[in-house]
Amino acid sequence: MSEKDSKTDRRDFLQNSFLGAAGAGLAVASTTHVAIAEEKTTPKTDHTNEVDVLVVGGGTAGVIAAIQAGRAGAKTLLVERGSQLGGTTTTGGVAFPGLFDAWGKQVIAGIGWELVKESVEMDGGDFPDFAKVPQRHWHNQLYTNQFLYAILAEEKCEQAGVSIAYYEFPRSVAKTETGWEVDCVGFGTTRRVHCKQIIDCTGGAEVVGLLGFPRLREEERQPGSFLFKLGEAHAPGREQVHRVYVHGADSTSSVTATEANLTGRKTILAKLRKEKKRLMHLQPETGFRESFRIEGETIVSVNDYTSGRVFEDAICNAFYPVDLHTKQGVKPKPLKPGTVPTIPLRALIPKGSRNIIVAGRCVSSDRLANSGLRVQASCMAMGQAAGVAATLAAQSGTTPLEVPLEGIHRLLAEHGAILPGKA
Amino acid sequence: MKRHWVSLLTASTFLVLAVSGVLAFVRPFSLGIVGLHSLMGFVFIALVALHIGKNKGHLNRYVRRRSLWIILLLTTLLTVILVWQPAPVKALLGLSKNLGPAVDRFEVTEEGITYFYHPAPDYRLKLSIRTGSGFDPDNPPHLAVWLENASFYHIKTLHEPEGDGGGQLPYWSFKRDGWEEAKREAEAAEQSDGDVDAVSAPTQNSSFDPGDYLLPNPESPMTYQVMIEIKAAAESGGAEDAPSLIYKVEIDNADPYVYQLFELVGYPKKIEDTEEKEEWAIYYYDEPMSPALELIDSALLTIERVPEN
Repeated sequence: MSEKDSKTDRRDFLQNSFLGAAGAGLAVASTTHVAIAEEKTTPKTDHTNEVDVLVVGGGTAGVIAAIQAGRAGAKTLLVERGSQLGGTTTTGGVAFPGLFDAWGKQVIAGIGWELVKESVEMDGGDFPDFAKVPQRHWHNQLYTNQFLYAILAEEKCEQAGVSIAYYEFPRSVAKTETGWEVDCVGFGTTRRVHCKQIIDCTGGAEVVGLLGFPRLREEERQPGSFLFKLGEAHAPGREQVHRVYVHGADSTSSVTATEANLTGRKTILAKLRKEKKRLMHLQPETGFRESFRIEGETIVSVNDYTSGRVFEDAICNAFYPVDLHTKQGVKPKPLKPGTVPTIPLRALIPKGSRNIIVAGRCVSSDRLANSGLRVQASCMAMGQAAGVAATLAAQSGTTPLEVPLEGIHRLLAEHGAILPGKA
Repeated sequence: MKRHWVSLLTASTFLVLAVSGVLAFVRPFSLGIVGLHSLMGFVFIALVALHIGKNKGHLNRYVRRRSLWIILLLTTLLTVILVWQPAPVKALLGLSKNLGPAVDRFEVTEEGITYFYHPAPDYRLKLSIRTGSGFDPDNPPHLAVWLENASFYHIKTLHEPEGDGGGQLPYWSFKRDGWEEAKREAEAAEQSDGDVDAVSAPTQNSSFDPGDYLLPNPESPMTYQVMIEIKAAAESGGAEDAPSLIYKVEIDNADPYVYQLFELVGYPKKIEDTEEKEEWAIYYYDEPMSPALELIDSALLTIERVPEN
C-alpha cells in the first residue's frame, strides 16, 4: 500500500468510525474498500486523422456538406455529438423537411433532395405536387421516415467515403500552417484531427465560438419544440406528431440543452397525466430553433430576404415565410408571389476568418431573416454549397471566400443543385 | 268593431310603424326593432283593410276626385325612386346606422365593382375591384366572391354569378357545394340527435354563421380569406376552355389591416386521381393562358372597425 493510500485509509477509518457512532448501517457501507485509479493529467489522444475537410455536426446541413465534400474527392471526417445523423430531421423529429419548392417550381434540389426523395420513395410515401398551390406553406413539406432517413444518410456518407465519428465534439481548435488542429473528445475517446478546412454545422456555430469569432444571439430565443404522440400509434413518414413549446430552449451548451429537455419532458408528462392517454412516441431531444448566428462577411437582412435579393455571390436559393415563433405562437408572414430569396457565400463565412465555413441555421442573418432561412431545405442547400466551397478551397490551397464563384456553381450544378436564378 | 275603434287602431299602429322605421334607420341593426316594424306592418295592413271596409262610402267619394289619382301617381313615383336608389337616395341610406347582417350591397359601375358587407355594426368590409382593359361592362364577366374560414371551407358567398356561373366558375361551385353538403349533413345530424347546437353554435369549426369567423375573438384569433373567381364571358372573348382565375386575400380577424390588395393565386384544375368525389385545386399560373388576366386591374379590400361610440 502506498503512503497516500495508507493516509487515506486512516482518514476514512476515522470518518467512518464517527459515522458509525451515528448509525451502524452507514458505517458498514462506508468501510467497503474502493481502489482509487491513478488520474491521468494529460488525456492520451487515441485517434488521429489527417483529412481535407472536417465537418462538425451531422445534422440537417452537416450530412449534406459531408456527402458533398466526399463525393467531390475530399478526404472527409464527420464528427457528430449524438448517435445518429440527421439532427433536427431525425433526433429532433421534424421529419417533414421543406421547402424545396416555390411558386410552382422546385428551387432547391441536389444531395438534400436526393436523400429526402430516396427515403420517401423507399418508404412508399407521397410527394406533394409542386405545381399545385398549397393552402398552407407547410403542405409542401415532405413526410419522411426519420429512422430510414438516418440510415440512408449513413449509407450515403459511407458511399462517399466519409468517416463518421459519433459521440464526439471539438474541445479545442488551433490554427496550423496548413489549416487546423482540432482536438475532439467523446466518452472514452479523444481524437486529434488535422484538416485543411472546417465546415461548422453545429447549428449554433460552436466551432466558430471556440475560435473566438463574433457571433450574434438574441436575449430571448424562439421556443423549441418537443415532439411526441399521445393516444394513437405514430406512423413515421405519414404524419406530423404532437408538440409542446419549450420556451427559452437554448442549444448553446450541454447544460442549457439539458434544461430544455428536462422542461420539455416534464411538460409532456403533465399533459399525459391530464389527458390520461398512452405515450406512443417521444423524440430523444428538443428541436431547437435558435441559438447563435455567426457575424459573417455579410449579414442577410429581412429586407434582402423578403425582397428576394439575388446576391452577386449567391450560392443557393431559400424559401419559407418569415416565421418567428414567440410565446404567443407563430404568425408566418408569407413572401410575395414570385419571391425566392437567395443566400450569399459571404453569409457562410465568419467575418475575418480563413479556412472555415458554416452551414445551417447559424447563417449570418438578422433575426427575422433567420426565422425563414433556418428551415431544412435551405439548410441542406447551404450544406451542399459549403461542402463544395470547402472542398475546392482544400484542393486549391486557398480559403472558401477566395474560391472562384464559377467553380462553386459548376461543381454544385454537377451534383444536382439548383443555382440561384436558374430554377 | 265600431268604426272609430278601427280608425284609432289604424292610427296607433301607423305611429308604431313610423317610429320603428325611423329607429331602424338611425340605430344599429336590431332584430327587435326590425321585427317590430315588419310584424306591425302585417297588423297595419289588416287594419287598413278593415278601415276600407268600414269607410266605403267616404272612399267612393275620393275615387271620383282627380286628386286621388295624382296622389297615387306621386306615391308610385316615390316608390320607384326608392327601389331604384339613385345616388342621392344611396347617400341618404348611407347615413343609416343600421349596418347589421341585413346590409350586403353589391354595385357595378363603369370603373369597377364594389361590394359592401357589414357583419356587425362596428365591422365594415368593402371590396373594390378596379376593372382591367379586358372588362366589358356590356358583357360582364362571370364573377364569384366568397369567404373561406381558416380551414379553407366556404362560409359565405358574397357575390354569386348570374345563373350560377353556368359551370364557368368551377372552383367556387366546388367550394360552395361542399359547404352546402356539410350544412345538410349537420342539419340531418341535428334532426337525428335533437342537438340544436350542432348546427348553430358559434364554435370556430362547426358554425355556419360567417360572423363567427369574421368577427374577432380575442381568446382565439384566426384568419379567414376573401376569394374571387373570375372568367370572361363568352360574348367578350372568354373561350370555353380557358381557365378562370383565382385571387385571394387573407385576413387576421383579430388584427386586420385596413387595406389589403388581392393577389393572383392561380387557376382551378380538377384533381385527376380522386376516385370518389370531384375535387378541384388551385394550380400556379405561369403562362399567359387566360384572357381573365385582363379583367381585373387590382382588387382592394378595406376593413374598417368603427368604435362602438
